[in-house]
Amino acid sequence: MSLLVQSLVLGVLLGGLYALLAAGLTLYFGVMRVVMIAHSAFLILAAYLAWWFTNQTGLDPLFSLVLTVPLFFGMGVFMQRVLISRLRPATLTMMSVLLTFSIALVIEGMLGFVFSGTQRRIRLDYGGASFEVLGANVAVVKLIAFGLAVVSLGALFLLMKKTQFGQSLRATIQHPDAARLIGINTDRVAGYGFGLGLATAAVGGTALALDSTFYPSLHWHWIGPLMAIIVVGGLGSIPGAAIAAMVLGMGQALLQIPLGTTWAQTFFYVALFVTLMVRPQGFFGGRLAQRF
Amino acid sequence: MPSASDTVTPRPEHAGSRRTTLLRIVGLVVLAAALLSFPSLAPNSFILSVGVVIMSYAVLATSWNFVGGFTGYISLGHASYSGLGGYATALLIIHTDVNPWLAMLAAGLVVAALAVPIGIASLRVRGASFVIVSIALVLILLLVFQSWGSFTGGSNGLRVPRPFGTDVLRPEQHERFYYLHVALLAVALLVWWAIDRSRFGMGLKAIREDEDKAQSLGVPTFTYKLIAFVVSAFFTALGGGLYALWFGFLDPIFQFSILVGSYMVLMSLLGGIRSLFGPLLGAVIVGYAVEYFKNEYGDTQFHLVAMGLLLALVVLFMPDGIIPAAGSLVDRFRPERSSIREVTQADLAEQRRTEGGSGRSRGAGPGTDAPASPTESPSASPTDSPTESQGARS
Repeated sequence: MSLLVQSLVLGVLLGGLYALLAAGLTLYFGVMRVVMIAHSAFLILAAYLAWWFTNQTGLDPLFSLVLTVPLFFGMGVFMQRVLISRLRPATLTMMSVLLTFSIALVIEGMLGFVFSGTQRRIRLDYGGASFEVLGANVAVVKLIAFGLAVVSLGALFLLMKKTQFGQSLRATIQHPDAARLIGINTDRVAGYGFGLGLATAAVGGTALALDSTFYPSLHWHWIGPLMAIIVVGGLGSIPGAAIAAMVLGMGQALLQIPLGTTWAQTFFYVALFVTLMVRPQGFFGGRLAQRF
Repeated sequence: MPSASDTVTPRPEHAGSRRTTLLRIVGLVVLAAALLSFPSLAPNSFILSVGVVIMSYAVLATSWNFVGGFTGYISLGHASYSGLGGYATALLIIHTDVNPWLAMLAAGLVVAALAVPIGIASLRVRGASFVIVSIALVLILLLVFQSWGSFTGGSNGLRVPRPFGTDVLRPEQHERFYYLHVALLAVALLVWWAIDRSRFGMGLKAIREDEDKAQSLGVPTFTYKLIAFVVSAFFTALGGGLYALWFGFLDPIFQFSILVGSYMVLMSLLGGIRSLFGPLLGAVIVGYAVEYFKNEYGDTQFHLVAMGLLLALVVLFMPDGIIPAAGSLVDRFRPERSSIREVTQADLAEQRRTEGGSGRSRGAGPGTDAPASPTESPSASPTDSPTESQGARS
C-alpha cells in the first residue's frame, strides 16, 4: 500500500515537471508549428549551468534561475528571429525539425567538449532530507522541483489569460493572419512565444539539476516522453499537454512497480502509438492538431 | 560484375536532346567504373573497410530517400529499420541456421511487415507526428534491445556468424562485402529510378509538393505514402542486414542510434533528395568526413558539433542539396531553360500535339501519365478510357 502511495506521489511530482516542459514544447508548436527537438537539450544545458553556477559561487542552484531564465528567453527570441524564420514556409515543419535537431547535437557536443561526458550532480546540504506523507517518503528536492514547475506553470497561465501580451500570443496561435489584421505584430509575438518556451526549459533544467545526475546525452531520454506527451495531449493545446503529462507521468510511476524502470518508460511510446491509431489529433487537441 | 552496370540503362524521353542522353550514359559508366575499381585502387585494407562503410551509408541514404525524397516526409529514425534488419538477420541465422543471405532477405521482409502498422500510425497525420514517431521508435527500440538481454544479447551486444568461411581473410572479406554493398545499392537505385518515372512516383511527388491538392486530384495519398514507407523500410533493413553480416557484431547503442538516422538525412539532403544520385554523393562526402573526424578526434564529442553545424548549414542555406545547386550553376551557361519540372514544356507541347484535339480538359491526367507511357495509345485518358476503348473496338 505504501509502495502504491509512494509511486503515486512520485508520479505527481514527476508529472509536474513533465507538464512544465511539455507546455514549452506546445508554445513553440503553437506559435510557429515547430517541433522543437532541442528543447530537452536546452533542459540539460540549464542543468549544467546551474551546476556550474553552484560550483563557481557556492550559492544555491535556485539562484541561477535569475541568470538562466532571461538568458534562455533571449536565446529563444534569437532562435526564432534569426534561424527559424529563415526557413521556407512550405517546408517549415520538416526543416525546423532538422534545424532544431542540429542545435540539439551542437549543444550535446559542446557540453561534452566543455564539461566532459562524466556524470554530474549538485551536492546540496538538504539533498538527503525527506519527510513522510501517508507513509510515502517525499524528498525535499523533489518537492522543490515540483513547486518550481507549478509556480512557473501558474505564471504562464496568468500571463496567457490575463495580460494583453498573452491575448496577442493566443491570437497568434489561433489564427496568425487574423491576428496580423487587427494590428498584432505576429513576428515579434512569435519570437517572445519562443523565448517563453525556452524559459520553461531553463526552469525545468534547474529543477532537474536539484535531484538527479545528468550527462550530455541525457536529453534523448527526455525528448521521447515529452514528444509523446504533446501528441497524446493534442499538438498545440497547453491544458491538454499538462493533463497528458500528469496522466502519463503517474502511469509511468505506477508501472514501475510491476515492470521495473526500463520497461515502464515504454509506456510513453505505447501511449503515443495508441493515440495515433485511435485519435491522431490527440485527446485534447482541436482543429489545429488535425492538420499536422 | 553484373550489379553496378544494372543502372547503366539509357534514359531516353527524360533528357530531351540526344547529347544529354549520351552524357548521362557516359556519366553512369564513369560512376560505375569508379565504384567498381575502388577495391583494386585502395592502398590497404583499412581504406577498403572505409569504402565498405561509405557504401553501406550510401545504401541506407538511398533507401531513406524512398520516403524522404518522394514524399518529403523526413524520418529521423530510419536507424530503427537498419538496426532491426541487422538484428533480425543475426537472430535468424543463430536460431534457425538458415543460409545467411536468405536470412538477410527474410529479415528485410519481416521489417517491411513491421513497417506497415508503424506507417499506418505515423502517416495518419501530417509531418510533425511522423517525425515524432520516427524518433520515438528509435528510442523505444534502444530500450527494448538493451533490456531484453536473453534474446538480443542486451547491452553486451550480439555476435553475428560470418557468412564466409574462416579461410577467407580480412581484406578478401572487405572486398567481397564492398561488391555486395555496391550490388544492393544498384538495386535500390534501379527501383528508385523506376518509381521516379512511374505514375506512382508522380503521385508521391505530388504529395511532396502539396498534399491537399494531390488528394483532391484523386491521388490515394495515404496508400501511396504507406507503400513508399514500406519499400524504404525494406531496403533500409537489407542495408542493415548486410552491414551486420560484414561487421559481425551488433550493439544496440550503435544500431539504434539517432545519429545514424540523422546521417541518412544529412547525406540525402546534402546530395539532394530529388535526384537519383544525391544520397550517394552525400554519403561519399559525409561518410568520408565522419571517418576522418573519428580518426582525427577520436573519443571527443567534437564530431557531434561538426555534424550539427553541417546539418544546420545545409538546412539553412542549401535545402535542395548539391546536385540541384550544381545543376543550376551549369544551367546558367546553357541556353535558357524555363522549367525545372520533371516534364519540360517541350515534352508537354510535343505530347499535346501527338494527342491532337482529344480531351483537352483532362487536368492532371496526361501530366502524371506522360513520362511513364509516352507511346501508349494517346486517346485513352484515365477517366474515360473504358468507354472509349469499347467504342473503338465496336
